Amino acid sequence: MDALVSKYAHSSASPLDSSEGFSQAGFDAAQQFALPMFDIPMVSNPIDFLRAHTDPSAENRIRIQHGTTTLAFKFQGGIVVAVDSRASGGSYIASQTVKKVIEINPYLLGTMAGGAADCQYWERELGRRCRLYELRNKERISVAAASKILSNMVYDYKGMGLSMGTMITGWDKTGPALYYVDSDGSRLKGERFSVGSGSTFAYGVLDTGYDFDMSVDDAIALGKRSIYHACHRDAYSGGSVNVFHVKESGWEFKGNFDFDKLHWDYQAQPKGQIV
Amino acid sequence: MFLTRSEYDRGVNTFSPEGRLFQVEYAIEAIKLGSTAVGIKTPKGLILAVEKRVTSPLLESSSIEKIFEIDAHIGCAMSGLTADSRTIVDHARIEAQNHTFTYNEPIKVESVTQAVCDLALRFGESARGEESIMSRPFGVSLLIAGIDETGPQLYHTDPSGTFVSYSAKAIGSGSEGAETELQEEYHSSMTLLEAETLALKVLKQVMEEKLNATNVQLASVTREEGFKIFTPEELQTVVDRL
Amino acid sequence: MMSTVPSELPVTAPIEHRFDPYVDNGGTLLSIAGKDFCVVAADTRLSEGYSIHTRYVPKSVKLSDKTVISMGGCYADCLTLTKRIQQNMEASLVAPMWYRHAHGKTMSTAAIAQMLSIMLYQKRFFPFYSWCILGGLDEEGRGAVYTYDPVGSYEREACRCAGSASSLIQPFLDNQINFKNQASERRELSLDQVLRITKDSFTSATERDIYTGDYLEIFVITSNGVELQKMGLKKD
Repeated sequence: MDALVSKYAHSSASPLDSSEGFSQAGFDAAQQFALPMFDIPMVSNPIDFLRAHTDPSAENRIRIQHGTTTLAFKFQGGIVVAVDSRASGGSYIASQTVKKVIEINPYLLGTMAGGAADCQYWERELGRRCRLYELRNKERISVAAASKILSNMVYDYKGMGLSMGTMITGWDKTGPALYYVDSDGSRLKGERFSVGSGSTFAYGVLDTGYDFDMSVDDAIALGKRSIYHACHRDAYSGGSVNVFHVKESGWEFKGNFDFDKLHWDYQAQPKGQIV
Repeated sequence: MFLTRSEYDRGVNTFSPEGRLFQVEYAIEAIKLGSTAVGIKTPKGLILAVEKRVTSPLLESSSIEKIFEIDAHIGCAMSGLTADSRTIVDHARIEAQNHTFTYNEPIKVESVTQAVCDLALRFGESARGEESIMSRPFGVSLLIAGIDETGPQLYHTDPSGTFVSYSAKAIGSGSEGAETELQEEYHSSMTLLEAETLALKVLKQVMEEKLNATNVQLASVTREEGFKIFTPEELQTVVDRL
Repeated sequence: MMSTVPSELPVTAPIEHRFDPYVDNGGTLLSIAGKDFCVVAADTRLSEGYSIHTRYVPKSVKLSDKTVISMGGCYADCLTLTKRIQQNMEASLVAPMWYRHAHGKTMSTAAIAQMLSIMLYQKRFFPFYSWCILGGLDEEGRGAVYTYDPVGSYEREACRCAGSASSLIQPFLDNQINFKNQASERRELSLDQVLRITKDSFTSATERDIYTGDYLEIFVITSNGVELQKMGLKKD
């Protein structure tokens, strides 16, 4: 709470301090881990200000890109991460080619749901911190630690309008690891997650087809299919499916699959047995 | 030798009437007590080599660290106060990572060196509300080796914050002898293999102990592999070549 | 006789005081990347509501021999942001040093792209009301288009249209540049073809969007540098 108070106190007293971007000209090594400074409007309630100008019902205004289906699950061969690629600002499809898997470094992946900029920025900041950890400790950071850093960073801005639902995955000394982190401050360790507006559809397919002992090819096919069904039913998801496989040697990109092509491929296949 | 200076060498930021900052000069002297470090630049890459002073047979030589990674393409070797070098190296690492964060490109070797030298004079009382982090000058000198778009680069920094580019350079207690040797043996078309051998050969001549794979550390920076510290096995093969 | 109620004072509804620093000045911008060139185009009309303030105000600025930035949205924010980018290309964000002076080189398109993302995010809680498109050549000499949302999420694409007529032009670009839903093979477009598509986009948008018109400025970025072409659009 004090952190929030001091943030506003500072911003209204001397807004110019941070207006030139990074005010980290100081050379104190410890200070370099302080959170970055952001410009804050000089109004009595900056949170209401931001909400008023980004709210979908606001008349004019700043449309931050949203909407997604992402999923990741653990299985015997590691972790499969699959995502769609649509970004929408209101009802307009802002992009069909968004990269929703963020490559934090060669062995850590983050997914993007919620505000695209929030995910991109904070996972980039996480990448910087993980790299410094690696240089200082001469070993890779654990997925648990990395996800905790991210969670702690965004928690400092709780209630200020950040929107981020992400899965941090990777392979460390303990094997494959999967965490869900969001901007409310949740951090959950798990076997299977799906995040975003289309997650309920994805969960339906994923839970039906999931088996821990499945082969790598089957796991990739399941991830693809789950996202496909979410794209089909959720208007805010679509475009194409990106699939990644996390292995002991790091992650590997398994391809980009156009939704339309998948649709007709699946239509041509005989229907599998559900009941 | 320094007896006559006693009037003006108490404050870290007081010039003597002759215009000298004695504390900074003394800090430079501190390097001459440090272990020897050698850096060699070749067209293909750079070699850094340092002497480790293994003062007791009970000391685990692997715990002595005098070569550090700054980023994947930059490394440095130090001589002087090891503890001071940690602050400097950490600063260099942060500077390199901040650059990558903001510009999505590796930082230039000269820029890292400049950042390190900016830090060197932030001792004593602070001006303009800037925080000073040290009450005295750093007692450490660095050889910063790296490869960027302008090719292989070797810089030497000292406690006064001066930095100069070299083809080959030695610092520390054996630097005088080592530099004479480097001047004789160095040529600009050296291969990396020749540079490895020369670096250890130079160290061998100035070290008090007999050189072996446990009392030296060797590292290279190449375009292909970036910064790399030699493993004990790799080091042994170079030692065997001598 | 004394009255306790000041009946003379009219009772009025409370006046709402809201900090509303944004205005949409309209206009359309577009960028298309080619094999070894990049085109950045924007109209020059500046309007507010139903009135046109001026017919010629450039939205694009040349940042270097390889990079051009184009912005739409709130013109005041765009001006400030452009000025800050130019300043940071001289002066680095991290330390009180100048990029050109600190690093002895002009910023590459990719470096500007990353920096712009961070500058926009720096205003996450007080966003710049601007849509940015950065066009230029990458380090290999290929055309590059970077597109942004107002708070700094960015992506490299083949083409992008932003601003008031974006929903009219973008589907046309999807079809003509990305060959979406076309039976024909994907092929590399020449500079001449791209310029024709660009001009058609703007003349068409001028027919249907009240905020687009007057003049068209086209920046063509090739290995020879940046060339500016101008063309008239309808002025009604």
